[in-house]
Amino acid sequence: MSQLALPLQLQDHAVFESFWPAGNDALVAYLIELSDTGNGPGCWIWGAPATGKTHLLQAVCDRTGDRSAYLPLGRFVEAGPEVLDGLETRQFICLDDIDTIAGEPEWERSLFELCNQVLDSGGVLIISASASPRESGFGLKDLESRFTRLPPFHVQPLADSDRVRALQLRASMRGLDLPVETANYLLTRRKRDMASLYALLDRLDLESLKAQRRLTIPFVKTVLVLRQGDIDGFSES
Amino acid sequence: MTVEGPLLQAEATPWDRCVGALQAELAEQEFNTWIRPLQAVENGRVLRLLAPNLFVVKWVQRHYLEKISELLKGRLDPVLEVGSRQTGAVDGTGATRQLRPARVEPIASRLNPTFTFATFVEGKSNQLARAAACQVAENPGTSYNPLFIYGGVGLGKTHLMQAVGNALLANNPSARVSYLHSERFVGDMVRGLQHNTISEFKRFYRSLDALLIDDIQFFAGKERSQEEFFHTFNALLEGHRQIILTCDRYPKEVTGLEERLKSRFGWGLTVSIEPPELETSVAILMSKAAIEGLELPEEVAFFIAKRIRSNVRELEGALRRVMATSLFTGQAIDLAFAKTALKDLLAVQDRLVSIENIQKTVAEYFKIRLADLLSKTRSRSIARPRQIAMSLAKELTNHSLPEIGAAFGGRDHTTVLHGCRRITMLRNTEKRIDDDYRNLLRTLTG
Repeated sequence: MSQLALPLQLQDHAVFESFWPAGNDALVAYLIELSDTGNGPGCWIWGAPATGKTHLLQAVCDRTGDRSAYLPLGRFVEAGPEVLDGLETRQFICLDDIDTIAGEPEWERSLFELCNQVLDSGGVLIISASASPRESGFGLKDLESRFTRLPPFHVQPLADSDRVRALQLRASMRGLDLPVETANYLLTRRKRDMASLYALLDRLDLESLKAQRRLTIPFVKTVLVLRQGDIDGFSES
Repeated sequence: MTVEGPLLQAEATPWDRCVGALQAELAEQEFNTWIRPLQAVENGRVLRLLAPNLFVVKWVQRHYLEKISELLKGRLDPVLEVGSRQTGAVDGTGATRQLRPARVEPIASRLNPTFTFATFVEGKSNQLARAAACQVAENPGTSYNPLFIYGGVGLGKTHLMQAVGNALLANNPSARVSYLHSERFVGDMVRGLQHNTISEFKRFYRSLDALLIDDIQFFAGKERSQEEFFHTFNALLEGHRQIILTCDRYPKEVTGLEERLKSRFGWGLTVSIEPPELETSVAILMSKAAIEGLELPEEVAFFIAKRIRSNVRELEGALRRVMATSLFTGQAIDLAFAKTALKDLLAVQDRLVSIENIQKTVAEYFKIRLADLLSKTRSRSIARPRQIAMSLAKELTNHSLPEIGAAFGGRDHTTVLHGCRRITMLRNTEKRIDDDYRNLLRTLTG
């Protein structure tokens, strides 16, 4: 088994600079302004999976430091709503995948209490979901109504040309040069959602470091053949 | 970008360095959930790490404390506690220990200073409630006590209630005014019982000059809280202190509330707030825009108000969305711009208010079968709901009259027109039909 001499692979940090904003420029600018000023009740971000909602919430956390709290609710359904306790003591509350707990009375009551405390005290709620507040299936209308106060932003999925640019941006932030032909090659032969493409970039980053090769199409082909099956859900098309 | 992340700087503290190292090591989600919200306060050799709640404290203790200690290299001893730099640390008993001396304040009213009478837009739908609130602000404890304001979600009950509180404080800055949500009252009481401080709780609430409690429907089913609130209520009323309550419905209609409370709520004045009519919604939008320093074109305000009919909160959300887009694209707000900025939100409205959805909702409301609504039956018990449904379809959707007629069992467009005119006329003469229509409108639009 080959090994790297040094643990040099960098993790991507979810920051605004590493988010390709095509079609979502107003949302990104609004979030930056919100993070810097705390001026406004927050916002409701909705859209399809793998469109960057989590990245944006985490970028807010990065910018606001320990004044923020981030909770991926999908991972805490079992833990129960006590994970929400005390979050109002932080200025920026980022709740990811909120619709995973919609329709759960206990959760909704706790969220309602949290919303009242945060919004009454001038805090900021930044929420992600797969649908708009009124389509997210909340049973408690008082809660749904509070969410409708947050300006809604629908995250636009990237066109293929923007996926290429987004991949190149992510690569450049790691110090990698990803030629446009190689990026296009990945897009036409692999799953095209950004989460899968970034996972693939992780793999290519590691392999290029090990092999000391650039990300040319021949090299990428070798990696894809050698590593077929290593990456969940990928198959050669 | 550096290996240790953006937090590593020349003047970084040991905690900053520790955070930087953890950020480089942990997955982004893990880092943001558990490490990022920790607020560090150095106290000699002790590094107090304040977490939002016990859940985070326990998790960090179990998974990261050893690593944190290691990264601090023995220079500081990390101790995890629940709390924040703003509120202080909370020990195991829930009692707050201030990290800094708190500002001396007679009482934290928790009022939003922007909720005043000046910023409350008056319309037919809230005229009476506003007048009553003004009266209470001028003569607290004597004119209407309690003042009970009820109505649907997002119609301005909280604004009006807090406007009274702010006016009371403006007239007498040392007045002891407290605004809170009913769930907070319950929470305070439970903590009082748990920590043996219930007498302080009682003393606090019974010493107020004005107590403003929002959404008292959430007292339903909480007997101990109702009992305590009952005594607080009596003590304040006997002392001629003002009480203002809001609820989503008429007091008698709140299930799970003790009869003696319901009856007391009716001792003062009970007023309702209805959904704003179009002109009031427009005025609300213009007023909110003006507060933000924006002159909103009237046609844009009319467009938003016509399309977003559910409640004032949603109007505000839509307005903020338009303003944000304008600010960051540098484009002026006109009708075409507003339509584009709200495209996705309006698509949601269209999905929610389809003819099929209207038919289903109307059939359920009048407890008739959907098939009857679409049938040729002309008996009044069916025909009237059918005409209401047609009217709603005309008002809430962009479908043409022939399309609406086709969706109602293949009727002619003149039948739809006749039905709509009939309902308009009946709404002016029969209150019950007007109430039914308004209820359905509210159900369908949020």
